[in-house]
Amino acid sequence: MHEESLMRTLLRQVDHLARQHQAVSVDEIQVEVGPLSGVEPILLMSAFERLVVLTNFETARLVLREVPLECRCRMCFAEFVLENFRFICPQCGSGSVEILRGDSMRLLNVSMQIPDRQEAC
Amino acid sequence: MQGTTRSTVVEVNADVLAGKKKLAAEQRDRFTQQGTLVINLVSSPGAGKTSLLQAAAKYWNGRARMGVLVGDIATDRDAERLRPFVPVEQLTTGGACHLELSLVQQGLARLSPEPYEFLFIENIGNLVCPASHDLGEHLRIVLLSTTEGDDKPAKYPKMFRTSHALVISKSDLLPYVPFSVEAAVQDARLIQPELLSFVTSSTHDTGIEDFCAFLENARHKMLTARDSSRVLNGEQSPGSKSRLAAGEM
Repeated sequence: MHEESLMRTLLRQVDHLARQHQAVSVDEIQVEVGPLSGVEPILLMSAFERLVVLTNFETARLVLREVPLECRCRMCFAEFVLENFRFICPQCGSGSVEILRGDSMRLLNVSMQIPDRQEAC
Repeated sequence: MQGTTRSTVVEVNADVLAGKKKLAAEQRDRFTQQGTLVINLVSSPGAGKTSLLQAAAKYWNGRARMGVLVGDIATDRDAERLRPFVPVEQLTTGGACHLELSLVQQGLARLSPEPYEFLFIENIGNLVCPASHDLGEHLRIVLLSTTEGDDKPAKYPKMFRTSHALVISKSDLLPYVPFSVEAAVQDARLIQPELLSFVTSSTHDTGIEDFCAFLENARHKMLTARDSSRVLNGEQSPGSKSRLAAGEM
């Protein structure tokens, strides 16, 4: 149940970005999660709903983009999607496989409303 | 002042934990420079993390300087169990399911300042959340006790994927429980092919010597790598290695 602590970290980053851009409001936060991100999307969403109301951008939406586990074989360089957590290259059978995507929680982008520059001048 | 606004999309595309991972890498480097091998010990509750540390402390019997930071949601019972043997500090999370670097650093500040060769961080008993949090350790070691069942590696892939070694604990109970060491190790190696494995019983002192020898060897490798990078960077390093390097010049 560490989704809450991860969500706090994420919302601090969004808050920092919003301030940096002098945002008036935040519309949408896009986050990528995968099978080895170590987070449960449903729990992440409920942590977001609990915590976003405590921020300065309480009307923001969270969009979770779920991606598969993308891997590459270090021996034959084949790239493939791993379905079953068995880290064996389907092409050459090697167990030396690196993860390219799907093992972290990534903040992709933040949509926000910022003051129109011509107005601000 | 109510001006007009426009929509903009700020692209980030970064790991949410990137900042924390960077801090953990810096802490790891400090440990390396101090010559302290740091081990993050993870498992389910009751797998025998504290017992393994007691057994290691008894085995070394002062020949290796070890310190322990022990995490629990409540109580300092684990610290009390270890206090007769080694310097220890309890980290109480007050409900949190995993340790984070900041908590470890607070504990470090309280731990008696000795030149530790081995610093163990006994994580909260949990095979899920601790997998995502780098504590600045050199080695992550996962314990799996024979009473938990040999199907755990496949059920908790992230923990086994991110670990360097697997300790199958409570081996003295193998005659009484349906647990196949071979199946557990095989399953774990499908997830992490480079995983080393040890079979131990802390109550019967089985496998403890091998486990401790592995840690001594890992520390030796860490020091060798550190010293050679110091020599390559032209820094003065203590000990015979630097003298040898200087003599060769």
